[in-house]
Amino acid sequence: MIQQLTPKKLVRRIIFALVVLAVVMFVCSRIGTEKISLKAVFSGTESNLNTDYLIFVKVRLPRIFLAAVVGAALACAGVIFQALLRNPLADPYILGISSGAGLGTIIAVISGFNWTLWGRSPIAVFAFAGALGTVWLVWFIGRWTGRSHVTGLLLAGVVVGAFFSAMIMFLTSISRSQEVYTTLIWLMGNITEENSIVIWFSATAVLAGIIALFYISPQLNVISFGHEDARTMGINTAAIQIVAFAVASAITAVAVSLSGLIGFVGLIIPHSVRLVLGPDHRQLIPLSAVAGAIFLIAADTIARVIIAPAQLPVGVVTALVGGPFFLVLLVKYSKKVGWIK
Amino acid sequence: MSAIIEIENLSFGYTTPQKILNDISFEVEKGSFLAIAGPNGAGKSTLLNLLCANLRLKTGKIRIGGKSVKSYSAKALAKKLAVVRQEFVPVFGFSVIDTVMMARTAYFGQSGFATKADIEQAEDALRETDTINFASRPLDQLSGGERQRVFIARAIAQNTDILLLDEPTSHLDLKHQAGIYDLLKQMQLEKGKTIVAVSHDVNLAAQYADSALLLASDGDYHIGRIEEVFSSRQIAQAFGVRVFEAEIGTRKIFLPIGKFAKHNE
Repeated sequence: MIQQLTPKKLVRRIIFALVVLAVVMFVCSRIGTEKISLKAVFSGTESNLNTDYLIFVKVRLPRIFLAAVVGAALACAGVIFQALLRNPLADPYILGISSGAGLGTIIAVISGFNWTLWGRSPIAVFAFAGALGTVWLVWFIGRWTGRSHVTGLLLAGVVVGAFFSAMIMFLTSISRSQEVYTTLIWLMGNITEENSIVIWFSATAVLAGIIALFYISPQLNVISFGHEDARTMGINTAAIQIVAFAVASAITAVAVSLSGLIGFVGLIIPHSVRLVLGPDHRQLIPLSAVAGAIFLIAADTIARVIIAPAQLPVGVVTALVGGPFFLVLLVKYSKKVGWIK
Repeated sequence: MSAIIEIENLSFGYTTPQKILNDISFEVEKGSFLAIAGPNGAGKSTLLNLLCANLRLKTGKIRIGGKSVKSYSAKALAKKLAVVRQEFVPVFGFSVIDTVMMARTAYFGQSGFATKADIEQAEDALRETDTINFASRPLDQLSGGERQRVFIARAIAQNTDILLLDEPTSHLDLKHQAGIYDLLKQMQLEKGKTIVAVSHDVNLAAQYADSALLLASDGDYHIGRIEEVFSSRQIAQAFGVRVFEAEIGTRKIFLPIGKFAKHNE
């Protein structure tokens, strides 16, 4: 009998990945410029605060959880955009999300808004709105251009992205404000400590998104062969595409509003999981989410400590560490399938 | 014998008012093998895409199993007809068995996982198409002929009465062309499947099909038994080229005669 992915096998793999995630979380929470005694942490309470407790609970843990949420969201969105666009080079930012978020951020800074929404600054809210607004604009332009949907979408993404980037440049040049530059640096990808409402809210949103995407994963397998093919195999392609697109864009926008634009996670994590376990979306979606979380927690830990007391933007680490790691995997796979003799 | 596909006064054009298909009517008997032939741009693939509801029908009627094609949901239609397109390499390296299992998606329950029956059905399809030996290999490592057999296995695993094929042998060498058509004929004779195959190779199609639909680029068409439809006059007219006709046994073969062809005297 031919081996097939069974629910049992999948659950076993997910549990294994979650155990690795827990271990990575624990190890990374112990790493930092300050040595922390776990005993002191556990003896600390809200009324009896000590430094170890404060650093561990208020600084390190939130940051680790945030990295996990962002990493899971980006890796999962990467899987979806690659499947929908049938393009291995697709990443969560391919349809103009990056420039949309950038434009939203610049507008927020220039407008000088001063309020918070669910604990989020105007910059984060505008980054979210800009990202989501742009990706929907691109989607509608893509649909409007007609039948060859994928090409239309990709071109619309490139053009809208270029247009918004030009607007960012324009606004940056005329504003001459130091704050704009600082914001642009934030946008290049940084994970910072957030309060617990933000973490819970975004974690719930991202987890709900991943579950929704997992639910349509068998259909995504078929759609990755082409939507005409998928339709004749009984898939309601229009509905699946729009659900997948909406969810992937939303979780990407959540990630961008939390941490700016962290590159590479959405591209290399899906490919790495695919190279190791194959392209079946039923396991690609949950396992990429966990792998993305692990990867970003590790990358952020390196960003925290490598030039301590200063910190690197985590986007620099994801590219520096992720790039070579991915190449090693690619070479291994190429040898296995005989591309390299 | 009853008609499993009925087409009535079908017209279609991508841009109005130009029509590629103009007022076409015909029926396909259950368990028969129909070849659709004609020059490039005559509407062969368009017709196939209308049959499988990938294109929206505007004028005329198409009935599959007695019911209008418009009344089927995607899932219900996928249990009636399966489609094999020109051989292609998919973007992601799904294995042969994963690919064939996808045909069972229309039958999956809520869990999104295959049952034992689904796996057995897929294995049968692999056996019938002689692809079971490389079931775990990725599609992108197979030859064109092997890959096309896998796509046929996928269509068989979909467990439908009708198989629609769009130029199934277009990139294949002579041996694999014959192999694919042998396989289709076997499916017709042993499993009672209705085969509708688009081909611009009239000679290959004529060897296997029972009947033919010949579409010309000017919107004219001929439908009927192979020997009625494929005559040098009608083929020359449809393709807009002179043809040389030869008889081999009971079959006729046709060769195009271009300006510099050796037969052109």
